[in-house]
Amino acid sequence: MKLSSHKRNHRRQITLEMTSMIDVVFLLLIFFIVTASFTKTERELDAVTKVNEKSAASAKTDLEPAIIVLTEADGKWVFQIGSNNIPTFTELEEVLNKFPNKADGAFVRAPDKAPYRMAAEAIQACKNADFPGVSYIPLVQK
Amino acid sequence: MKLSKKRVQHTKGMDITPMIDIVFLLLIFFITVTQVSETNREKLELPKLQGAKDQKKSSLTVNIDKKGEIIVGGKPMQLADIAFLINKELEANGGDTGLITVVVRIDQRATCETPNALVKQLASQGISKVRLAVEVPG
Repeated sequence: MKLSSHKRNHRRQITLEMTSMIDVVFLLLIFFIVTASFTKTERELDAVTKVNEKSAASAKTDLEPAIIVLTEADGKWVFQIGSNNIPTFTELEEVLNKFPNKADGAFVRAPDKAPYRMAAEAIQACKNADFPGVSYIPLVQK
Repeated sequence: MKLSKKRVQHTKGMDITPMIDIVFLLLIFFITVTQVSETNREKLELPKLQGAKDQKKSSLTVNIDKKGEIIVGGKPMQLADIAFLINKELEANGGDTGLITVVVRIDQRATCETPNALVKQLASQGISKVRLAVEVPG
């Protein structure tokens, strides 16, 4: 019984070698699976920090600049603009969107005891409202 | 003209498939390792916000955990150590503070106490821009 003739041997050269391709494909697949679980998509909020409070308050325009202060009211931390207490991020966004003076930028003042999550939310709200610059000011508690 | 013999000999040439396999394996291994070492990311619960910019390469990544402890490159550090690291970066850059980008990854459950102290420290060294890392929700 003849299973392979010379002629058939010649034809076999045309067939594609799949093993190496499969190796590489599996390797890439595993690589992407591993990296996908490693890295969560992170982005950035770029803020200018101002430690010297006098420079932060020296904006000279007719309208008041947006100054968001994190304060504690009735046991809860709230965003305060002027004398208004704003409890949530979405409400703060709405207020900032309608803010008349955006040219002077926005200032976020955070005392030491304030939760960082709210400071980040305040900066994000200012960025979302298209303020040209957002400054973060550490607030010294008396 | 006989071509068949030559063709049979040709198939006996060096098989480079395993070599390619190993080369790819090493390549991917090093790509993964360098990515992990570059980011210096601690496991933190970052604020779930959209952010304003995509993350770029930074000269220093500072992690602050929920207890307010500073961690850089997997090691707990004090503010003085950060000041030392910044000074080293400044020396390497020729004293240009504009070239130094500091990414601060802060756990959202932390208070502003350590971030405030860090910001003051950085400002005293002439760095007035920080990049706060946030996690894109979803």
